[in-house]
Amino acid sequence: MNEQIAPPSTADKLKILELKNAEALRGAGLDKIKKHKTAGRLTARERVEILVDPGSFVELDRLVTHRSTNFGMDKKKFLGDGVVTGFGTINGKAVYLYSQDFSVFGGSMSRTQANKIIKIMDLAVKNGIPIIGLNDSGGARIQEGVESLGGYADIFLRNVTSSGVVPQISAIMGPCAGGAVYSPSITDFIFMVKNTSYMFVTGPDVVKTVTQEEVSMEELGGASTHSQKSGVCHFLAEDDKHCLLLIRELLNFLPPNNVDDPPILPTKDKSNRVDVELNSIIPDSPKKPYDMINLIKIVVDEGYFLEVHQHWAKNIIVGFARFNGRSVGVVANQPQVLAGCLNIQASIKAARFIRFCDAFNIPIVTFVDVPGFLPGTDQEWNGIITHGAKLLYAYAEATVPKITIITRKAYGGAYDVMSSKHLRGDINFAYPTAEIAVMGAGGAVNIIFRSEIAGAKNTETERANLTRAYEEQFNNPYIAAELGYIDEVIEPAMTRSRIIQSLEMLKNKKDSNPPKKHGNIPL
Amino acid sequence: MFKKILVANRGEIALRVIRACRELGIGSVAVYSDADRNSLHVALADEAYHIGPTPSKESYLNIAKIIDVCKKAGAEAVHPGYGFLSENEDFARALKKENLVFIGPTPENIEAMGDKLNARKIMQEAGVPIVPGSPGPVTTEEEATKVAQKIGLPVIIKASSGGGGKGMRIVHKIEDLPSALRAAKSEGLNFFKDDTVYIERYIGNPKHIEIQIFGDSQGNVVHLYERECSIQRRHQKVIEESPSPSLPPEIREKMGEISVRAAKAIGYIGAGTFEFIFDNKTKDFFFMEMNTRLQVEHPITEMVTGIDLVREQIFVALGRPLSFKQSEIKQTGHSIECRICAEDPVTFIPSPGTIRRCRNPQGPFIRVDGYAYPGSTVPMEYDPMIAKVIVWGDNREVCIQRMKRALLETNMTGIKTNIVLLRTILQHPTFIDGHYTTQFVEKEISVNPDIFRFVLDESFLIAAAITAYNDRKSKDTSRLKITTRWKDMARLKGLRN
Repeated sequence: MNEQIAPPSTADKLKILELKNAEALRGAGLDKIKKHKTAGRLTARERVEILVDPGSFVELDRLVTHRSTNFGMDKKKFLGDGVVTGFGTINGKAVYLYSQDFSVFGGSMSRTQANKIIKIMDLAVKNGIPIIGLNDSGGARIQEGVESLGGYADIFLRNVTSSGVVPQISAIMGPCAGGAVYSPSITDFIFMVKNTSYMFVTGPDVVKTVTQEEVSMEELGGASTHSQKSGVCHFLAEDDKHCLLLIRELLNFLPPNNVDDPPILPTKDKSNRVDVELNSIIPDSPKKPYDMINLIKIVVDEGYFLEVHQHWAKNIIVGFARFNGRSVGVVANQPQVLAGCLNIQASIKAARFIRFCDAFNIPIVTFVDVPGFLPGTDQEWNGIITHGAKLLYAYAEATVPKITIITRKAYGGAYDVMSSKHLRGDINFAYPTAEIAVMGAGGAVNIIFRSEIAGAKNTETERANLTRAYEEQFNNPYIAAELGYIDEVIEPAMTRSRIIQSLEMLKNKKDSNPPKKHGNIPL
Repeated sequence: MFKKILVANRGEIALRVIRACRELGIGSVAVYSDADRNSLHVALADEAYHIGPTPSKESYLNIAKIIDVCKKAGAEAVHPGYGFLSENEDFARALKKENLVFIGPTPENIEAMGDKLNARKIMQEAGVPIVPGSPGPVTTEEEATKVAQKIGLPVIIKASSGGGGKGMRIVHKIEDLPSALRAAKSEGLNFFKDDTVYIERYIGNPKHIEIQIFGDSQGNVVHLYERECSIQRRHQKVIEESPSPSLPPEIREKMGEISVRAAKAIGYIGAGTFEFIFDNKTKDFFFMEMNTRLQVEHPITEMVTGIDLVREQIFVALGRPLSFKQSEIKQTGHSIECRICAEDPVTFIPSPGTIRRCRNPQGPFIRVDGYAYPGSTVPMEYDPMIAKVIVWGDNREVCIQRMKRALLETNMTGIKTNIVLLRTILQHPTFIDGHYTTQFVEKEISVNPDIFRFVLDESFLIAAAITAYNDRKSKDTSRLKITTRWKDMARLKGLRN
């Protein structure tokens, strides 16, 4: 007699689910996880737990496996296939995210891993919700060949189409090499972790073969390299945890998509605060530098300024802050570095930031103290004309509320570029210390009065006299104010309240550009 | 009578003085630092003046500022409370110079008792028993060894200007003496800018018993019996009672008499306290120090004697003779005071912050002197004591029962408090039988934090359960925002033309 095998009960079926989930959580095994954690790095799931609000994460595609049969891969499968994907909340706001698991196949990109990532990207764009990628991957799953490359490109395409639709944030928390770098590079912000993250198109070995250069991973593409030299990295973090918490901070400033507004956070800082110390922050001598960061921190809510690209192109400052709870993007010249001159790097840095703010409805507040563009062959030969134009283009194109405060110098073309009235600046203020002119007095006098100076008995005295006369006439904000290029000359102490009043009046601003496929920004 | 008195203090003691003033029809002037802008003494006084930033050095200890306020407000006298400037002879002198009355002893009184070594000498001459010890400061190791051998081990090394447990070292073995000497000296130097130290015999089973005395400008001095303050943590009192459960009547009389004699010897004026160390085995007692001010625990004396000490302080400051004779002062019933502090009940680490809710005990024979109200803050910079719960009873047993009941009613949230510690002590057998010493908390409570389970009240568990329930409960859906601009646009686009 055949013994009847009883069909599995419901309890048995639940047990099977439990076992499968446990298997997925084990990944490639505890040994691999342990090895991954030795360098002080967190696992893919630990990172997710820190990033999102406790208990809010819902994982998708936990049971996905790869389908490759090449090189005996069909015998090596792990549930989840090297990436954790899903959704959760950050400060109560929804996000979609993926976190690559280096302990499974080195986090390498397989066709199925790409499919998992694509799935959440599509969901994010349909729902107008930010995407966060935590990258930790050795690169393509070589065993899968071109299928893996196809997976990458499918992700790139989505990065591009969702650019300017939902905020995209990338954290590099391990290696990120070759094709893998292009997804983060298209996203809006790149975070890197000191000492444990690397990004390069070709690694040190290839570099040595091709150019004979000996260079370490850290030097070639470490976090400090990219945050100081290349500008690829926007935010530098001390360790994994710091990186994840920084992402949470940044998200607090951003709207979920390009239609909704950024969150307004309650603040205890008074909107009509008068900051008397600002009345003496501009030095008496126009040649003396001062720290523009101090000025920014005085006027914003609770002195809180989240600087972007803190270590790169320091002659311009960009970052997020709040005025009366409202998110703004701050752009400011830094007189302490290169006298605040605009150069190639500074123009690129600020232009990209302005375009991000414009895409996501974040008003832009600009503090101007700029003596002009940086002169020199280095700048000209590397195309300051093209790159400087990016900044001009970005300001001109932006339709979000734009408020400008000229604290001191606004000379020449740089005056025009820095959110001037002529580029649709909405409200343009100047301090009484502002000097709005074509150039500095010395240079101007040498040109205008060339023959007078040459013909004078004492050329130096003549030049000095003429310079003083020029300074009296032009080194002030009043001519610009007469022309209406400056809306109000304000007492510096009133900066905060004026900005807040202006933002309030501009909150329903409607402005647009003519319909087009896209403009042709000078890239 | 004074027209106006400035209270140069904060917290509950400022309130205590303001209340006495109001009862006498005297105007009260409060002073406050940045941190105390919303403190209760500011609200309750007739006038209040800001005297500087939060650090005491720049506010409550700023003599010039306080004198300024006196002039501005037209105050004629200053009550210093306890702590801060209460035992500062320079302050007393500075007031005198400005023709302002210091409600307290004379500068000479303060000076005489301020230096512990000097006080010891004066007391010895007045016939007050002194713990055997070095006749003066000890500087070298040889000197210290000689003294220690003469008075017998164990000994304690004390910094001359020390207090609050700082600059003290107990030595059980002679070979530990040099390092202990160094440690006491360096602590004295660090905390009090003075490395003078002296040596005394160390008393193993000590009780802290003190005598309240009162003198007037006519030379009358009386005592108002004792207070026992042996329940201490980190050398600071937490529970005090009067009368002491272990003082035989004849020793009580003797202590009182000696204290009166000693106070007369220095011509003491005002309220003062002689602190004695009492050996519970031998029933010997020795002079420790004299506090030339009102004590934190003065209310228990008020409860058993029926005398308002602050009112009397004001009368004496006016030059009036004491309003009672020694024979008229009776100790009636029993009184206990519990100090409620903003601190962790196990580690005693201060827990400053904002008080969310507070409820004071009520009912017969209960008095609460405190400055907490819902929403008030306990600043980090000052003493963590928030309130004193004082009860009176016919006898000690009734008094303990009443205090236990009062503490059950006392409730304070938002910060940590030591209420659970107080309740634990009150039902500890060693406390109940009265044989506790100053080491009681350290030796019988702190070693076993589990002891708190006896007083754990179910409300903690209920509160935890409610919080957990609320966390797990799904969000209130009625408040969810159902539309966003993204959604509106998506809907519009999704419609067919």
